[in-house]
Parts: sequence; structure tokens; C-alpha cells
Amino acid sequence: MSKTLLLTALGLGAALCAQAGDIHGKVTCKGVRDSADAVVYVAAIPGKTFAAPAAHAKMDQKNLVFIPHVMAVLAGTTVDYLNSDAVLHNVFSPDACCDKFNLGTWPQGQSKSYTFKKECAATLLCKVHPEMEGFVVTSPTPYFAVTKADGSFTIPNVPDGAYTVKVWHPKCKPSQKAVTVAGATAAAFEIAK
Amino acid sequence: MNPSTPPRLRSLLHGLLLLALFLGLAAPASAFPIFARKYQTSCVTCHSVYPKLNPFGEAFRLNGYRMPKETEDLIKQKPVSLGSEAYKRVWPDAVWPNELPGNAPVAVNVKMANVYTSSTDASGGKTIVHNDFQFPQEVNLFAAGTLGEHMSFMAELTHAEGPDGGSGTEIEHARLGFESLFGPEHAFNVRMGKFAPNLYAGFQEMWLMTDNGVDSLFNYNPVGFKGGTGVITDGAGIVSLPARVRGIEVYGVLNHRFFYTFGFSNKIGPGSGVATNTGDGSTQGTPGNFGANNHKDIYLRLDYKFGGMGLDGDTEGVQMPPENWREKSFRIGVLALKGNGTNIDFIATDANGPILDPSDNPYHMQDTSYTRTGLFASWTYSDLNVFGVYLSGKDTLETRSADGLTLYATDDRTYKAYFVQADYVLAPPFHLSARYEKLTPGDTTVQPVKVSNYNFTYLAAANLKFMLEYNKSEQAGVGTNKSINTVIRAAF
Ligand SMILES: [Cu+2]
Repeated sequence: MSKTLLLTALGLGAALCAQAGDIHGKVTCKGVRDSADAVVYVAAIPGKTFAAPAAHAKMDQKNLVFIPHVMAVLAGTTVDYLNSDAVLHNVFSPDACCDKFNLGTWPQGQSKSYTFKKECAATLLCKVHPEMEGFVVTSPTPYFAVTKADGSFTIPNVPDGAYTVKVWHPKCKPSQKAVTVAGATAAAFEIAK
Repeated sequence: MNPSTPPRLRSLLHGLLLLALFLGLAAPASAFPIFARKYQTSCVTCHSVYPKLNPFGEAFRLNGYRMPKETEDLIKQKPVSLGSEAYKRVWPDAVWPNELPGNAPVAVNVKMANVYTSSTDASGGKTIVHNDFQFPQEVNLFAAGTLGEHMSFMAELTHAEGPDGGSGTEIEHARLGFESLFGPEHAFNVRMGKFAPNLYAGFQEMWLMTDNGVDSLFNYNPVGFKGGTGVITDGAGIVSLPARVRGIEVYGVLNHRFFYTFGFSNKIGPGSGVATNTGDGSTQGTPGNFGANNHKDIYLRLDYKFGGMGLDGDTEGVQMPPENWREKSFRIGVLALKGNGTNIDFIATDANGPILDPSDNPYHMQDTSYTRTGLFASWTYSDLNVFGVYLSGKDTLETRSADGLTLYATDDRTYKAYFVQADYVLAPPFHLSARYEKLTPGDTTVQPVKVSNYNFTYLAAANLKFMLEYNKSEQAGVGTNKSINTVIRAAF
């Protein structure tokens, strides 16, 4: 391999990285059992819009639990709520950012849907089983991730640039900070109850 | 409260309500947080305000404490295996495998009451007691659960303290259940032990949201002697219906909506043979004792439920609202009980105490034949549930000598009793209940007993409630009792 070719290859690689970086790191939720289920997402980017995805997201109600507990979606996404139990379930939200929707009750094997139109951290509840709780966090950008049990996350394919990154968790106060993405970019968040 | 009320204001209002109810004054049934733990679900899944069951809770109870189409994953507390499933194939070379609940299936209810009572006797004499702190009035220890696929159990030990500090402990329930032994699911179940029979499904114990039971059906003697009081409280003497039985019962739900039960039992009351004269002119039977003679009471009930959730939890073809206490339904049932109290003596009494024969020995009585027939109806329309029972009874009473050997007279007595109750959900934490009941005793010279009951309940949390209750019972010629009770009841 010639020196020129190698340099070119390196240069190309660097250029590709610069176009498609990521934001990775850790969210620490103080005073909470674990740091899972935090949603990290890039706030609305002025002058940029994203088409709503055609594919529906799915949230299950099984054994009296919402699965997954926390889900992140792009604004415009329709979420299908499936009832996998032999008992009736309900889904409603007390949050105004999703119109306080209430889907009624439906039996096993059937789904009802709601489209999350704008940025929103929606709490989902079931009137039949008051202990049931789930969350859909609607991000205005397709750049979002839900943390694992250790708080780690990776938001892939974020173009280089300067952004506001928001973090939300069911039990902690939301927070945000400016992050400049240049290739693989590390960012850490510390939030508390 | 509007959902947009700020959380801080909401918690302040909540706190003030607690305080107001607690300071204002303070009087309260049963709930099994055992199942809340087992399934990790709220009390509100089964109770609108405990102990009152919502339609799902009723189905859960009739299923032998199981969810409809229950799967292993629904049970969040893993049971303890008493033998591998495969041992079923080896039987009888090994013991049939079974299961134990994963955690000790025990729960506690504590009830504290602040009681204000005002009693007026026939001559107008009045006795008032202010702010009697009955802390605690009652502590209940429950055990309940399932043992494998076809068995369940329930036991309740109640310790109650009276206003004077005297106390008593009673096994209120102790029973084993065998569910869906054969045939279609829910169709054939058996239980045995001491229990509240399903004869009273819908109007006793787990269905009443107020602190006061239906006295006219369970706590008064409807067949008095001659011109006597005719009515004795607290179950001494003959009771209109035995609140609990020691017996064997078969019950089931067919085709989702038809309910049947029949059972055989020893009867409760009229006390253990001979009642005792307390010395102050009144006669005290021994409440809650079981008459031991050779005869068994037999009882039967048949119900049908129109609309709403099926009695086994079925919802196919029915649109249920998300508010799980609501439905549009009508349930109707007929009930009957028949028994024979031959050889169970009790002392003939009137307003002055025992009725004495010429040689100053009290006359004895036996209730040699009694039948009770009734009609139950319950109508639920959204937040309102109106239900009631009409009961008529017929007794054959024998008056005998003190040694029980000589028969002096045989009288037939008929009586009737009814109650109607309305429960209303103002909002999930706030409930209203009102009941009117009337017992017309068998002796026409004895005036009817009328009881009214008004209750406001604040369900402060799913397992904590405050009740403000007004109760009035009156009988012309006997007197009037009024009481206001403020009650705290916690289940854990
Ligand atoms: Cu549910």
C-alpha cells in the first residue's frame, strides 16, 4: 500500500466519523435504585424537522406491567398498546402534552393506538390497576436513547454540531446541557430526585 | 379536584382532610393485602373501597382467589413446591405434589374508632357517651391463599375490645376450599369449615362498605316469646340468619352468569343450650355458639347476573369502562334456609327477663322448625350500586318446662325483614352509603325495629380509610340508640 493511499484512507475515515458521530456516556440518578430508564435526547434543532416514522412502536401490557417501562420515540410516532393479559387493561395519561388521552379498555390480544405529536414525557397509567405505570418520552429529534441499568447510553449517528441535550428520568428532575458533537463524543449527566 | 390542581396544593388538601376527619371524631370488615403482595397489584384492583368488592374482586373471590385464566407469570411471589409436577404421574407410589404460598400469607387489619352514643330508653331516660376512644376497637389477623391449582384457604382471627376494655378473641373464619374439581372451570367448588356462606353473596362482609352489618338480618332475634321484647341483639337467642356457619358448601358459576350454592351446616344460636340470667333482669344467651343437635341446616341460593362483568370475570361481548367499580348490571337471586332446632334449649324471655313458671323456674323453648326465604337484588349503574334483601321467616316454637321434658305449647311465628342500601362513588377516594332496614318480629304485640345508617368514607390511600358514620336504631316501646362513629381502618 502506498503512503498516499494510506493517508487518503485515513482522511476519508476521519471525514466519515465527523459526519456521523455519537453521544455516549452515563447518566447518574442520585437517590434512585438504579440509573436505568433515563431518556437522553437531543432537543429541537432550530430550522430542522424530521419526518414522522411510518412504523408503529409497541408497548405491551403483560402480567399487569407495562413493557417496556420507559420508551422513547420520535415526535409523530404512533404507539400501539397491546393487552396480553386475560384481564382488561386501560391506558390513559394525565399529561397535557399528549392531550390527556384515554383509550378506554380492551381485551386480551387487541391493541389501541395513540400518536405522540410533540415533545412530551407522558406518564401512562391504567385505571383498572393503579400500580401500573409506563412512560413514553417523545423526542423532537431522532437522536435519543434509553439508559441501561448502569446508566450508560449511546445515541448513534448524531451529526457534528452544537446541541442542547436533555435528560429525563421517571423519578429524577429533568436536566439539560449544551453538548458539541465532533465524532464520538462523551457526555455525562448527573440528576437527582 | 381538577387534574390541573398543582401537586403541592393537592397534597395540602389531602393532609387537611385527614386532619379534619381525625380531629372531628372517629367507627368499621375485611381485606386481604396478602393478594396485593402475591400479584403486586393495588387493593383497588379488587375493592372499590375495601372490603366492598368491585365486579372483578367478586370474580376473583369466586374463583378461589385466582385471576381469570391465571398464568404463572401473574404470580409475582413464586410458590414453594411440595413436590415436582411429575409426581402426579407416579401417584400412588408418591404423595400428590402441591404448592405453598411463597411468603407467609398473613395480613393484618387494625380498626380504631371514636364513638359518640346516645341511648334513650322507653321511659325517656337518656345516656350519652362522648368521644369514647376505642383504640383499637378491633384487630384482625388474616391468612388466605391458594395451595396449588385446586385448593384455597382462608382464616381470620379477630380480637375485639369492648367499650369497657373487656375483650374477646374469636376465630371468625377458618375454611378450606377445593375449586374446579371437575367439570368446566368455576362450575363445581366445595368449601368446608367455618365461614360466611355464599348464601349471602352480595350483602354481607366483603360487600359492605360501611362499618355496620345488616343487623335486621343477622343480629336480632325475630321470634320472641308472647309479649316479650321479641328482639334480642347480638345474636343471643334465635338469629334471623346465621352470619357464619360451620358446614360444607358447594357453589359454582355456570355459563359466566348463573350462580348457585347449597350447603349443610350446624346452625349458630340459639346459644349453647341454656342462656344465663345476668342478674340485672336481662338474659344473655351465648352469642355465636353453635347448636349441636342431630339436625343440619340446609341452604340454597340461585342467582343470575344481567350485564356487566360475568361472575367468573368474563368480559366477552361486554364493553367495560376503565373505572373498575363501574358497570351496568342487574343481579337477582333467591335464597332459602331450613333447619330444625329440636333439643336446643333456650330460655323464654320477655322485657323483664326470663319468664318463670309457678315454681320460679324459667320456661324453656325450642325452635323445632324454621325456614327463611329471601329475595336479593343488586343494581349497578355507573357510580351507583343499590341492593337489598327481602326475607321472610317461619318458626315453630315449643314452650317447655325447665327440664325440657314437658311440652306446654306450640306456636307458629312468621316474621319479615328487609333492607335496602345505596352505595355511591363520588370520586375514587370519596364514597357515600345509606341503608334503611326494618324487622317486623313474629310477635304482633312487639313493635318493628328500624335501623338507618349513613356513611361517608374517605379512602386516604388504597389500604387506609376514614369513615364518618351515623347509625340510628329504634323500636317503639323499647328505645332508641344513636351513634356517630369516626373510624380509621388500615390493612397491611
Ligand atoms: Cu391494567
